[in-house]
Amino acid sequence: MTKEMQPVTPTTPVPFPSTAIAADAAQDDAGIAKEDTAWTQRPEPTPHLDEAVDSNPTAGEPLGQGAPKMRAQDIKVFYGEKQAIRGVSIDVHEDKVTAFIGPSGCGKSTFLRCLNRMNDTIPGARVTGRIELDGQDINSPDMDVVQLRARVGMVFQKPNPFPKSIFENVAYGPRIHGLAPSKADLDTIVEKSLRRAGLWDEVKDRLTESGTALSGGQQQRLCIARAIAVDPEVILMDEPCSALDPIATAKIEELIHELRGRYAIAIVTHNMQQAARVSQRTAFFHLGELVEYGKTADIFTNPREQRTQDYITGRYG
Amino acid sequence: MSKPLIQAGPATRWSGDEMKRRVARRYAAERRFRALGLAAVLLSLAFLAFLLVTMIVRGAGGFSSTFLTASDATDPAMAGVWGALKGSMLTILVTMALAFPIGVLAAVYLEEFARRNRWNDLVEVSINNLAAVPSIIFGLLGLAVFLKVMNLPRSAPLVGGLTLALMTMPVIVIAGRNAIKAVPPSIRDAALGVGASKMQVVFHHVLPLALPGILTGTIIGMARALGETAPLLMIGMRAFIAAPPAGVTSPATVLPVQIFLWSDEVDRAFVEKTSAAIIVLLVFMLMMNGLAIYLRNKFERRW
Ligand SMILES: Nc1ncnc2c1ncn2[C@@H]1O[C@H](COP(=O)(O)OP(=O)(O)OP(=O)(O)O)[C@@H](O)[C@H]1O
Ligand SMILES: [Mg+2]
Repeated sequence: MTKEMQPVTPTTPVPFPSTAIAADAAQDDAGIAKEDTAWTQRPEPTPHLDEAVDSNPTAGEPLGQGAPKMRAQDIKVFYGEKQAIRGVSIDVHEDKVTAFIGPSGCGKSTFLRCLNRMNDTIPGARVTGRIELDGQDINSPDMDVVQLRARVGMVFQKPNPFPKSIFENVAYGPRIHGLAPSKADLDTIVEKSLRRAGLWDEVKDRLTESGTALSGGQQQRLCIARAIAVDPEVILMDEPCSALDPIATAKIEELIHELRGRYAIAIVTHNMQQAARVSQRTAFFHLGELVEYGKTADIFTNPREQRTQDYITGRYG
Repeated sequence: MSKPLIQAGPATRWSGDEMKRRVARRYAAERRFRALGLAAVLLSLAFLAFLLVTMIVRGAGGFSSTFLTASDATDPAMAGVWGALKGSMLTILVTMALAFPIGVLAAVYLEEFARRNRWNDLVEVSINNLAAVPSIIFGLLGLAVFLKVMNLPRSAPLVGGLTLALMTMPVIVIAGRNAIKAVPPSIRDAALGVGASKMQVVFHHVLPLALPGILTGTIIGMARALGETAPLLMIGMRAFIAAPPAGVTSPATVLPVQIFLWSDEVDRAFVEKTSAAIIVLLVFMLMMNGLAIYLRNKFERRW
């Protein structure tokens, strides 16, 4: 601050002190912004959904020929007496990113957790219906739940790094599955996973520090790195960018683009633009029901259901 | 005071008299609570200080050159505490070797593997009850089972340790279960999510995180066992034994029993021996508690 603060004269109506401070700051910023031309040249974030959909050339992709990677049929989930999912059927395709959208509490996380049987761990939770991975029933006795979870990786809604070193966080999965025969291999896997999650540059000099000492957004990326280190076939991401700034978010979206084709990806997001940008398939959930499921381009530009239309245009949420 | 940024704000709500009184009340409440808390701490410390000071004053004369190396004797000038100290160490070693692994295993099983049902509730109630059973009953149990049925040697650290292990186990189980419960579920989710098995989740993540809590509970249980007298009297560790025990099966006595025996002596010289033995017992316990704090800090991690 170079110039003296001018007291705001009480003749102007001031609704709240912070408004006055903000107005003052805005005046200062106006001066700074003129000098900083780079700032004004930054690309504008896409404010409209149509533009976000248009920026995603794959949003209207038709289905491939192959069978779906995962197929859920008539899934119902109960927490005790309370029903959270009311008969949802959906296919997740290997070469597609499937976005799950819907208002808070509509059951997106619950449904995602069905796909790798994480709901098994919640006392009182009951899942009915059939879910297949590559045509095999994931609840059949032939399917080992531990292997299922290695094949269907998950990034949780709340970042949950192990209270161990950053290296150990990423190395844990590959180690217990014997994916790295030597120490050098393990180092490579850890570095590659951290790079892909866009975290490597920030942590490469502090790999021995605790993962819980990272910032919230860094923890989120650490959890993404941990999930991809196991090299799963399907990745379930529950709001992986909720604590990330636009640049880190862009990195994760890039990663999702890059991973598409290698892994089937299902992503829960509250950010409509993000769903429009990264996915080829979008599923809209409301009150435990799957209201509409289809090509991302269709859902965002031409939804069939009124409820979908209302939600994506922000009429309720 | 520097010049305020905004001179006349509209918000008089925060500067009115009522609001000032509120703030003053809040600070006064905090001051009262601090004073009360400090008084509570000082009161408990005062008792410990009183005990230490009286024991040191009375017992200082009891520390002869041979007090820490000799064993019990009929002549107070010759009597030492080494036999009882060694007996205590052997007994506590047996207790630890049994109660810790069994207690931790039981806690892990109950918390992580046992299904939640009525049977489990029953087990829980039983264990809580067991922890509250008076120690003399454990002594009777030890007498009946270890001496009468299994014919183990009387008066031996082995039997004392076994009896105290029975008594300490429920304490460790309860502390262990609480420590395991306190591990956040998100950590289990994280491990399960990368495909760890139940066993891997428990042994790689849950137990290491619960260890500080388990250790604290264990040491508290051990300290209690160390000071226990009644059950050991029941299994015969009250005899006059003039030589330190050679092993866990030789006859022995332990510190608290020694204190009890000496305090019963008619000879006045035993009074200061008693106080000196109490000092030795207290130091032994302080060392164990210090170890507990050290271990807890060493293994404590934040999440
Ligand atoms: N462990 C649980 N026990 C009981 N009820 C639960 C549990 N988890 C979720 N629910 C309930 O199930 C419903 C769906 O929850 P879920 O977490 O799937 O919502 P969501 O769509 O992921 O919401 P958000 O966008 O806020 O994350 C909610 O009504 C919630 O209260
Ligand atoms: Mg959720």
